[in-house]
Amino acid sequence: MVPLSWYLVLAFMLIGLGGYGMMVKRNLIRILIGAEIMGNGVMIAIVAIALFNPAFSFTGQGLIILVISVAAAHTALAMVLMLMYNRRYGSVDLGTSVEMEGQ
Amino acid sequence: MQGFDPALFEQIEFLLLAGIVLVLAYLALEHKEIVYAAFFFGFMASFVAGFFLLLEAPFIAGMQIAVYTGGISTLIIFAVLLLPRAQDSTLEKFATPRARQISLVIAVVVTVMTGFLAVLFPWAESFNEAFVSISQDLNGLAQWLWFENGIYVQMIALIMITSLVGAISLLRMDKAEQLGAITGEFGVEAKPVLIDDLQSAEDGQSVPEPKEVDE
Repeated sequence: MVPLSWYLVLAFMLIGLGGYGMMVKRNLIRILIGAEIMGNGVMIAIVAIALFNPAFSFTGQGLIILVISVAAAHTALAMVLMLMYNRRYGSVDLGTSVEMEGQ
Repeated sequence: MQGFDPALFEQIEFLLLAGIVLVLAYLALEHKEIVYAAFFFGFMASFVAGFFLLLEAPFIAGMQIAVYTGGISTLIIFAVLLLPRAQDSTLEKFATPRARQISLVIAVVVTVMTGFLAVLFPWAESFNEAFVSISQDLNGLAQWLWFENGIYVQMIALIMITSLVGAISLLRMDKAEQLGAITGEFGVEAKPVLIDDLQSAEDGQSVPEPKEVDE
């Protein structure tokens, strides 16, 4: 049996890695990938906690079903916002808007 | 097999999966070519489903593969393909070394602190240390979702449909703004045209076919 702490450490490592990507990257697609990696870490933590507590058996699974559904919707919205950004500024680089608005 | 410990096998499986997932997540963020990065993200999402199988939640694992690998990673690849400038890795700008170092320090501090919390927190007092199987009863799960928490499911459904309709509307509004005008029938977008000989047009003479303006 794998201890709960192992799953949580892995989940926090994924959250940290995704957060690093979101802070460092300037490309909007990479920032979106970072956010999705963080989401995967959170999902592992929730399901692992549900496994170790019978009270969360359905709660954990139900919550993950809802989280995965919402993740699909927010990715579609993020993609449209990226396309709009690209049309307006001609790039998916986050710094472009700051540079162009500053001129 | 004598001396075979299933718990040890499970732990080795976990470590193997964890290593693969972390490497794929790193490659998804740091690979030079963004198309490959999107593919690495899709692979990473597939391997995360392996953890759900280890946690005995096969329904969640199936959903993870269907939605994350089949849907979200495909959406990201579509986004990359729709944005030609994003595919050119030479155009990608990177943060300054100082910004990278600060971000790395913040991420490491947060990860280490939360990792210590995960290791040191007395889970045995809060949760059962004994292995508890997640219920595999899909009927029970459906009843829990629809009868006990139906209002939340409906709220999430409303949020989803609003975000999708909003996304489509935003895209159409932006396109209309870019074209400059909407003429004719409702929803029919017209391209601006140039008439070379305005005088002949006013005189009612034969007007040459208008040329479409190249955008």
